[in-house]
Amino acid sequence: MAASFWTLTAAQAQEPIKIGFAGALSGPASFVGVEIKRGAEIAIDEVNAKGGIGGRKLVLVSRDDEHNPVKTVAQYRELVEREKVLAIVGATNSASMLAVAPIVNDTLKVPVICPATDATAITENEAQKQGRDNYLFRVGMYGTGQGNFMVDTMVKKFGHTKVGLLTWTGGWGVTGRGELQRRLKENGLAPVADETFDNNDTDMTPQIIKLKNAGAQSILNYALVRENTFVVQTKEKLKDSTPYVSAWGIAGPAFWKAAGAAGEGVLTSTTVTIDGPQPPERMAFVNEYRRRHNQDMDAAVFAIGAYDAVYLFKDAIERDGAGPQKIRAALENIPEFKGLVKHFKRPVFTRDRHNAVTEEDMIMTRWTNGQMLEVKFDAKGPHVEIDAQTKKYLDKSNMTLL
Amino acid sequence: MYFFFQVALSGIATGAIYGLIAVGYSLTYMTTKALNFALGMWVMLGGMLTYSLTVLHAFPPLATFPIVVSALFALGIVAERFSVMPFLRAGSDVWVMSTLAVGFLMIDLAEIVWGRSPSQVPAFLGKNPIYIGAVSVLPQQLLIIAAACVTFIALDLFYRRTLLGKAFRAVAHSSETSSLMGINTRRVQAVSYAAAAALAGFAGFLVVPLTLAEPQLGTVLGLKAFAIAIIAGLAAPRGILVCGLAYGALEALISGYFYTGIRDILGFSLMILALFLRPEGLFGKAVEERA
Repeated sequence: MAASFWTLTAAQAQEPIKIGFAGALSGPASFVGVEIKRGAEIAIDEVNAKGGIGGRKLVLVSRDDEHNPVKTVAQYRELVEREKVLAIVGATNSASMLAVAPIVNDTLKVPVICPATDATAITENEAQKQGRDNYLFRVGMYGTGQGNFMVDTMVKKFGHTKVGLLTWTGGWGVTGRGELQRRLKENGLAPVADETFDNNDTDMTPQIIKLKNAGAQSILNYALVRENTFVVQTKEKLKDSTPYVSAWGIAGPAFWKAAGAAGEGVLTSTTVTIDGPQPPERMAFVNEYRRRHNQDMDAAVFAIGAYDAVYLFKDAIERDGAGPQKIRAALENIPEFKGLVKHFKRPVFTRDRHNAVTEEDMIMTRWTNGQMLEVKFDAKGPHVEIDAQTKKYLDKSNMTLL
Repeated sequence: MYFFFQVALSGIATGAIYGLIAVGYSLTYMTTKALNFALGMWVMLGGMLTYSLTVLHAFPPLATFPIVVSALFALGIVAERFSVMPFLRAGSDVWVMSTLAVGFLMIDLAEIVWGRSPSQVPAFLGKNPIYIGAVSVLPQQLLIIAAACVTFIALDLFYRRTLLGKAFRAVAHSSETSSLMGINTRRVQAVSYAAAAALAGFAGFLVVPLTLAEPQLGTVLGLKAFAIAIIAGLAAPRGILVCGLAYGALEALISGYFYTGIRDILGFSLMILALFLRPEGLFGKAVEERA
C-alpha cells in the first residue's frame, strides 16, 4: 500500500503542469496572439531549464481562436476538460474574455491572467461584485484605469483645462470615449470638442480643424495604428502641433512603421516600454526574444505581460500547490513580485483588486525618433530623458520635447 | 472661409480616389453588364505591389507605375478567363460570387506575402504641404486629383476617338449586333475587364502613400466607390468623376459642419434619394428599347 502510494506520487511528480492559451494566432489580430504565445514560451522554457516546479515541467497548450469569441468559449472548455490545464493565459479579444468570464467563474474554475484585453468588466465581473471567487486576473491595461490615467495626466500633470477628444466609432473607441468623457466630468471639465472618425476616414482635416478652433490644449484619442496614422498625417499637413495623446492601441513599433516621423511627439499610455534605459531582467528578455525569433517584438507589452503571467502562476503554485482553486487563492496573496512589467512591491492582486497594473503604475510614453520613451514627472515638470543621438535628431528637426 | 475651403479641398482629394476606383466598375459594366465586385481588392493589390517595389526594392515611382499597371492588366485577363467568362457564357449570374472570391483570395494571399500590419509608402513628391492661400494640401493629394482628371479625359477620348473605344460602346449597346458586325466581342469583354483591373492598380499605386499599405486598404474604398458609380450611373464615366469629387467634398463638409457620425447616414440617404428620382443614375441615360 505504502509502495503503491509512493509510485503514484512519483508518477504525478513527473506529470507536466499544463498552462493553456487560446487567442488569435491567425487573422489581423494575430500579432497580439503570437506575442503572448512567444512571451509565455520564453518564461516556460526558463522555468523548465531550472528544473520546473517541484520537478514537474511546464507545458503550454495553445489554440487559435481566430479572435472569435465563439471559438474561445469552445476552446476554453476543451483546454480545461480534456487537456486538464491548471491555468490559462488570457485571450487577444476583449469580447472573447467577456464571453468566457462567467463560464470560467461558474463552471471551469481555472485561473486566467490576461495580458492584452482591457475591457474593465473582464476582471470586475459578476462573481467579483457578488463576493464569489473570481478566477480572472489581469496584468495589462484596463479601460477605466486607462481613461482615468490619460485624463488625469493631461489635466493634473500638464495643467490642461481645455481637452478635446478624437475617438474611433469602432467598438474599442466607443468604450474609450465614454471613459474619457466620464473622467473629464469627474475633474469638473467637459471636452471642448468631441470628434469621432470611422474606418472610412483617411483624412481627418475637418476633425483636426474643429479641435484646433475649439482651443484644445491636448487631444485624447482611442484608436489603433491605422487610424492614428491618418490623424498624425493630417496634423502634419495642417501644421497642427496640439499635443496628441493615445491609448495603448499604438504601443508598439507597428505605429512607427506606419506613421514614420509624423508620429514624433505622440504620447501613448501603456504598462511598460522596452525603449530607453531598461532594468537588466527586461533587457535579457528582449535579447532572448531577438535570439529566438531573429526579429524585434511587434507589441512588447503583450509578450512581457504573458511572461509575467507564467511567473505569477509559478509563484502561486510554489506557495499553495498545483490545483486550479489553490492557484486562484494564492494569486490573491503574493506579497511582492519582481515582474518584467514592473517590480510590484505590494501584493500583485488582492481579493478586491484583480488588476495588477493600477492607475499609479501606468506610464505615459512619448514617441521619439521611433522609440517610446517614458515621460517622467517630478520637480522639473513633465520631461523625457534622451541620449545625445536623440537630442541631435530633435535639434535637427527643430522640435521641443513636450 | 478658411475652414470651408480647407475641409472641402481635403474632401475633394478623397473624392478623387473614389472617382478613380469607381470608373473601373463602369468599364466592365459597359461591355459585359457584369461587375468586378472585388475592385477594391484589386486596388489593394496595386497598392501592395507599389509598396513592394518602391519600399522593399527601392524602385523609383516612375518605374513602378508601368510594372504595376501591366501586371494587373495581365492578371485581369487571367481572372476574367477563369472567374467571369465561363459564367457569362453559361448565362449564369455566379460571377457575382466568383469575382468576390477572387478578391478574398487576394486579401489572404496579401496577408501571407506582406503580413497584416500597415506599412508606410513615402509620398512620391514629398510630404511638405502645398499652400493655396492659407489652405494646405499634400502634393500626393494634388497628384491624385490631377491623375483622376487626366484619366477621365483619356477615357473620354478613348470611347469617342479610337476604334477599340467605339467597339466598347457598340458591345455595350448590343453584344449580339456587334458580333454580327464583325466585332470580336469576346476580346472586347476580356480587354475591358483587364482595363478595369489595370485602372484599379493605377488607383492603388496613387493612393497607397495616403492609405498605408495593408491587405485591407481597398475593401472600404471599393464599397464607397461602388456607391458613387451607382449614384452617377454605371454607364456614365464622366458623371462618375463629378460625383466622386462632389461626394468626397460633401462627406468632409458634413463631418466639418455637423459631425462624423451622421456622415454616412446623410451620404447614403442622398444616394437612395438620387436613385429613387433617377434609377439610371444622375448622369445615366435612360435607354429606349426599340423593337
